[in-house]
Amino acid sequence: MSETTLRRPPEAGRTGPDDGRPDIDDGSYVTADGQVSHPVPDDFRSARSLPADPHWFKRAVFYEVLVRAFNDSSADGCGDLRGLTAKLDYLSWLGVDCLWLPPFYASPLRDGGYDISDFYQVLPEFGTVEDFVLLLDEAHQRGIRVITDLVMNHTSEAHPWFQESRRNPDGDYGDFYVWSDADERYPQARIIFVDTEESNWTFDPVRRQFYWHRFFSHQPDLNYDNPRVQEEMLSVLRFWLNLGIDGFRLDAVPYLFERDDTNCENLPETHAFLRSVRKVVEDEYPGRVLLAEANQWPTDVVEYFGDPDVGGDECHMAFHFPLMPRIFMAVRRESRFPISEIMAQTPAIPSGCQWGIFLRNHDELTLEMVSDEERDYMYGEYAKDPRMRANIGIRRRLAPLLDNDRDQLELFTAMLLSLPGSPILYYGDEIGMGDNIWLGDRDAVRTPMQWTPDRNAGFSQANPGRLYLPTIMDPIYGYQAINVESQLNSSSSLLHWTRRMIEIRKRHPAFALGDFHDLGGSNPSVLSYLREYRGHAEEGDESSPEIHDVVLCVNNLSRFPQPIELNLRQWEGWAPIELSGLVPFPPIGELPYLLTLPGHGFFWFQISPRDEVTS
Amino acid sequence: MSPTATDRAVALAGAFARWLPEQRWFAGKHRSIEAVTPVSAVPLGDVQPRLDHLVVEVRYATGEPERYQLLVGWRTALPEKLEHARIGTVGSHVGFAGLWDDELADLLLGALAGGEQHGGLVFRPEPGATITRGLPSRVVEVEQSNSSVVFDEESILKLFRRPTPGANPDVELNRALRRVGCPHVAPLLGEIGGELSGAAVSYGMLSAYAANSADGWAMATASVRDLFAEGDLKADEVGGDFAAEAHRLGAAVAAVHTDLVTALGSGQRDADGHAELSAAMIGRLADAVRTVPELARYAARLGAEFTAVADLTAPYPIQRIHGDLHLGQALRTPTGWLLIDFEGEPVKPLAERVRSDSPLRDVAGMLRSFDYAAEHLLVGEGADHQLEYRAQEWAARNRSAFTAGYTEAAGQDPGRHRTLLRAYELDKAVYEVVYEARHRPAWRWIPLRSIARMLGFEVPPPGDLPSA
Repeated sequence: MSETTLRRPPEAGRTGPDDGRPDIDDGSYVTADGQVSHPVPDDFRSARSLPADPHWFKRAVFYEVLVRAFNDSSADGCGDLRGLTAKLDYLSWLGVDCLWLPPFYASPLRDGGYDISDFYQVLPEFGTVEDFVLLLDEAHQRGIRVITDLVMNHTSEAHPWFQESRRNPDGDYGDFYVWSDADERYPQARIIFVDTEESNWTFDPVRRQFYWHRFFSHQPDLNYDNPRVQEEMLSVLRFWLNLGIDGFRLDAVPYLFERDDTNCENLPETHAFLRSVRKVVEDEYPGRVLLAEANQWPTDVVEYFGDPDVGGDECHMAFHFPLMPRIFMAVRRESRFPISEIMAQTPAIPSGCQWGIFLRNHDELTLEMVSDEERDYMYGEYAKDPRMRANIGIRRRLAPLLDNDRDQLELFTAMLLSLPGSPILYYGDEIGMGDNIWLGDRDAVRTPMQWTPDRNAGFSQANPGRLYLPTIMDPIYGYQAINVESQLNSSSSLLHWTRRMIEIRKRHPAFALGDFHDLGGSNPSVLSYLREYRGHAEEGDESSPEIHDVVLCVNNLSRFPQPIELNLRQWEGWAPIELSGLVPFPPIGELPYLLTLPGHGFFWFQISPRDEVTS
Repeated sequence: MSPTATDRAVALAGAFARWLPEQRWFAGKHRSIEAVTPVSAVPLGDVQPRLDHLVVEVRYATGEPERYQLLVGWRTALPEKLEHARIGTVGSHVGFAGLWDDELADLLLGALAGGEQHGGLVFRPEPGATITRGLPSRVVEVEQSNSSVVFDEESILKLFRRPTPGANPDVELNRALRRVGCPHVAPLLGEIGGELSGAAVSYGMLSAYAANSADGWAMATASVRDLFAEGDLKADEVGGDFAAEAHRLGAAVAAVHTDLVTALGSGQRDADGHAELSAAMIGRLADAVRTVPELARYAARLGAEFTAVADLTAPYPIQRIHGDLHLGQALRTPTGWLLIDFEGEPVKPLAERVRSDSPLRDVAGMLRSFDYAAEHLLVGEGADHQLEYRAQEWAARNRSAFTAGYTEAAGQDPGRHRTLLRAYELDKAVYEVVYEARHRPAWRWIPLRSIARMLGFEVPPPGDLPSA
């Protein structure tokens, strides 16, 4: 597709060089009378739409990709939207259903783009809004959806709203942020970035008042008690939804409101606002999703799904944070209980909702949701070098966390693809990419995607010195050893294996939609569970056939071979079929079902009525 | 079909004599059976298939007779899957081990749920207990003196194969702990009791089943295997470290001890009590040395340790305790640790098992168990200094984590009663040497090594030295 097919003819009076108004690619601007003016969706074309499917996110495989890190189309050393668009065929081949892009908005980039200075402009090095529409259109053409982060809690201090707010306390933007004469209010709110911030209040020398910020001091919190802030944020939402985006990951949702004598998290006012956001999506953009980022215990996170009686009326999805460190703990302890425990504490969620689960993402391996004792343990086990630690987490990729052990990589991925929730893969983990712990902050896990053994890992045509971050070059994880091209050429590669597993997962709705039942068993090193789905093949579509899909997953968390006896009396007379090779196993009888697994081995079975196996 | 349950039992007597020695829980395997006669026979329901509850007396050519509880099912045709449970045929009916039959096992649940009474049998649900029926069941026969039926993932019915007059401590303590809301036991749901020859007797108990659980022995040995596989990491550095679990387990044991005091009170052991305890330990030692000559070289020092107990003058608290605590009696569930099998040491007479004792006996039992878990992989492997060193490192780390957990929850350190705690541990080790010499001779090195280590002797290698 040529780069002009989506571009509208310039409108008279909108983009002309002489009218004193900026080009639309320059995003928002401040008018002479101190108003912040934003582009409107009609300034752009929209991407083609996918068929409306209200439940697509419940069975989708997500892929988190950093625009900066994926593919550079302009040879400036930095990945961009057009580069990503050029790699959609690869993602489609892998089986990805939805891309999650961390923020690509205009930003001073002091917090990886989570410090947004204009919600209506694409970061210039990533491209333009037009480029984004092109990405959406091409993705939709391949049946791939795209969601992105929307940081609602705060903006960058460079945002014109904040600049106006500090300059003119009595102006239209005076109340857009949370200002105070003292730095003492809301003492119960914890400080999230404990290693960089001393207080949630910072003094602004311009306005000569303190402003409230739950994250970095350069990220002032928006004041949601101001109805205009709420309206402005809904306008942002509508702008991108009109262009065709498939949903938002709502960043840091628990912190939108502040109230005295509370810890200022998960307040009722926050939920009320989320319900109004959901209503806009439901009424005007059905089929688009809201994903809550709330790093809280599952029992608290379920609140963000909203009212279960109506199938949920806040966010469609939420991350399940504590599961991920527990998976790591369980395998190192060779005990299923860290996982069994957290699954037992995970409440049921409304019928129209789904968890998002992940092994790794662009942030560190989050340890906020584990006890001190467990955190010490995780540091000891997975981050022996202090450089591997950041905030309260560990900054490593999956492969180095697992000592590049193929068996463990497969075991972890198999659990990611079979535990309840929609799996979110992190770019590069499908080929077992490494990290570079000598890069600052969280950049260790944000290095360029490794496409080929050629210069710059095939990521960019720029001079290697211009790359935003150096490629990984060590002998084990370097791009000459680990890259997409060579793994595409080897059918036994991790890449091909991952693709096959995604394919199997998609053949069985039980993985995505089924109930979860922990089977226990006397061997503590084996985690076994049943996923069972009974319903229409296309959930919610009464015309699709009724199916009964039962999948049994057995995971050996130990490095040694292990036996397991499973109580499958309920399935007496049925037979397990191993899913990677469709190998029939002996039928289930009255006695406990005996399986033996190699070290770090796993099985996925379909449980089928016996006549279906023998016929 | 014979008209009464007693007639049917008599008719099966010959078959019983052949069938009993094949049962795991039958203690008379090496004795010659003279006769099997019913002492009590109670039909449970009169529809097909039938179930008879029997207590039979087994008389042997020599020695004391024994009594066993049997549940005999009757069907005109035995389904193939029950063929393994066949006992014998009477007329047109086959008698078989009734617990294996889902339908008959459910009959027992129904009697419990309904609080039924049959002959001398009383089925008693606990107040407020929910008993779910109609579930698939499976028989578990891993214990020496009991049989259990697990009903799907809901409940477990434990039948005491050798009914003994008097209250069963397992039922009694579980009931008391449920009453005070102890979270570290599986809730008791009901009891099958009754009268036998004029004395109250307990036949079985129904408890909630801890579906997703694994026992402490399996957990601990997984950790030891992990340690042994690491070339150069210490016990606190390997991923399979068990110390956090041991700590939680210590806290759970302390909580159960505290709850037992709340429910059933406590007392004190005075100087006379200590003298008696000391004498019992010395007596056991003398018997043990006769059975296992390898103990002889430690006997004098052991004797001195046990004698020191008699010198204790300050009164020590005593209470009802578990009595036979080891890692295999603890279940890890997703919410924490449960303790099971409050029957006390099965070889001791009932009167002794229900007596108050120091909670240090339980602590000592668990400490011994950590030693076992650490060392069992060394058995028969010959000397390997590195592995032996690391096994001890593991044991020391987990014993101390267990003690710390216990101390935190109990508010006091069991190690402060050093003389008594050591004596209990050594006494347990002496018992283990005898047990192992009889049942698993290769394993006797585990307690022998512990005794040598505790007393400061040179520690023998973990196996018989090759003969010259």
